[in-house]
Amino acid sequence: MRTIALFTCVIAAGFSVGAYAATEVIHQQGRVFSSESISVKKGDAVTFLNDDTVPHNIMSATKGNEFNLGSQAPGTSTDVTFKESGDVQVICAIHPRMKMMVKVTD
Amino acid sequence: MPAPGSFRACIVAGTIATAVLGALGFSTIGYGAAVVGESRKVEITQKAPSGIDALKAQYRRPASIPFPKDNPYTPEKSALGKKLYFDTRLSVTSAQSCASCHSPGFGWGDGLAVGVGHGMAKLGRHSPTIVNAAWSAIFMWDGRLPTLEDQALGPIQSPGEMNMKLDDLMARLASIPEYKPMFEASFPGQGIKAKTLAQAIATYERTVVSERAPFDAWIEGNEKAISEQAKRGFAVFNGKAQCAACHEGWNFTNEGFQDIGLPSSDIGRGEYLPAVIKMQHAFKTPGLREIDRRSPFMHDGSLATLEAVIDHYDHGGVDRPSRSDLMRPLELTAQEKAELVAFLKTLTSDLEPTAVPVLPR
Repeated sequence: MRTIALFTCVIAAGFSVGAYAATEVIHQQGRVFSSESISVKKGDAVTFLNDDTVPHNIMSATKGNEFNLGSQAPGTSTDVTFKESGDVQVICAIHPRMKMMVKVTD
Repeated sequence: MPAPGSFRACIVAGTIATAVLGALGFSTIGYGAAVVGESRKVEITQKAPSGIDALKAQYRRPASIPFPKDNPYTPEKSALGKKLYFDTRLSVTSAQSCASCHSPGFGWGDGLAVGVGHGMAKLGRHSPTIVNAAWSAIFMWDGRLPTLEDQALGPIQSPGEMNMKLDDLMARLASIPEYKPMFEASFPGQGIKAKTLAQAIATYERTVVSERAPFDAWIEGNEKAISEQAKRGFAVFNGKAQCAACHEGWNFTNEGFQDIGLPSSDIGRGEYLPAVIKMQHAFKTPGLREIDRRSPFMHDGSLATLEAVIDHYDHGGVDRPSRSDLMRPLELTAQEKAELVAFLKTLTSDLEPTAVPVLPR
């Protein structure tokens, strides 16, 4: 019964937020992305949460999935939805050691 | 880390916000690009080091020099690299070597505001030190080169600097008989090539490491190694003045790119990331080891003394969209400024003299 209820919730959530539900949260504490690589489905969102002590500037120049969050202050969370499948290199423009890959699948 | 409860609440709130945005349209939608949603404020818990000992542990020297897997250390390679580093024949005029601008006599810089290149013409930026370059992940003030091997070949070929075409340089080095066996010993079967030249110079440069300074002795427990004034300066550095937001770790840099508000027209990193506002006028954060030997300071050599540098940060610099959000007036007292200078001077070691090598003929 509990499983069915949970399943219903998931279905309902799926209908209400469509393909834009945030499925992964990437933390930035200590000038490090919390994951080196993640996989998401095309149309899914990734949440970039600046839980660090300094501003970050998360961006990607990967063709088809370009984005630039600009200066993201500590205590700010922003969702990014990837539209094209493929490997997306995500960096912090300010801190060049911060690099990660978002693998967007069909 | 945020508390689990508050974080879950954030996710729920975020999901709702996302759903609303999905219905109303995103703030930024561009064809052929990822879609960025509205930013949300989130309550976070900062993980600050607890106490002075935890803070000091973040500044402990590493035990060994990191060498890349594709260019490991060998004594032969380092010795060859040292000869090449000091060899003026790497420039078209045979008058300038790597050491001309990155001299051990000036903390591995040149002591000038901006470098001097081919024909004694002034360059646009201050010659950066090569001290502790082994720990760098990105090179040049504007970060345009990804490895020390790439960096080694940059100034040699640059028309404004050593102005030497690599093909011509290989021919010149091949004509110096004593170089051939040294390359063979360092790179068996590979010969004199741009790649082996760069690998040898980079290997030598990685051995240029700041030696133990009074600060290191204090970090390791000798309370008498630095003055009480310098210890207070360390607290200001990590606290009120926020220097450690960028100048962090044992080499005092996270290699971030920041516009610190210097009144210069040079856009620095902005040349390579033109669409990123915060990269306009941004330059790589330099390490602070041997800093007392490296004046004048900043990417343009515009500040002559450590006191002037601290005054600049205290003021906050030119307020413009690209300026780092970390730059703001600090309202440091005269005492705190003096403490910061006292602390910075503890980062200078008693460098051993560097012997200039006898060069191959």
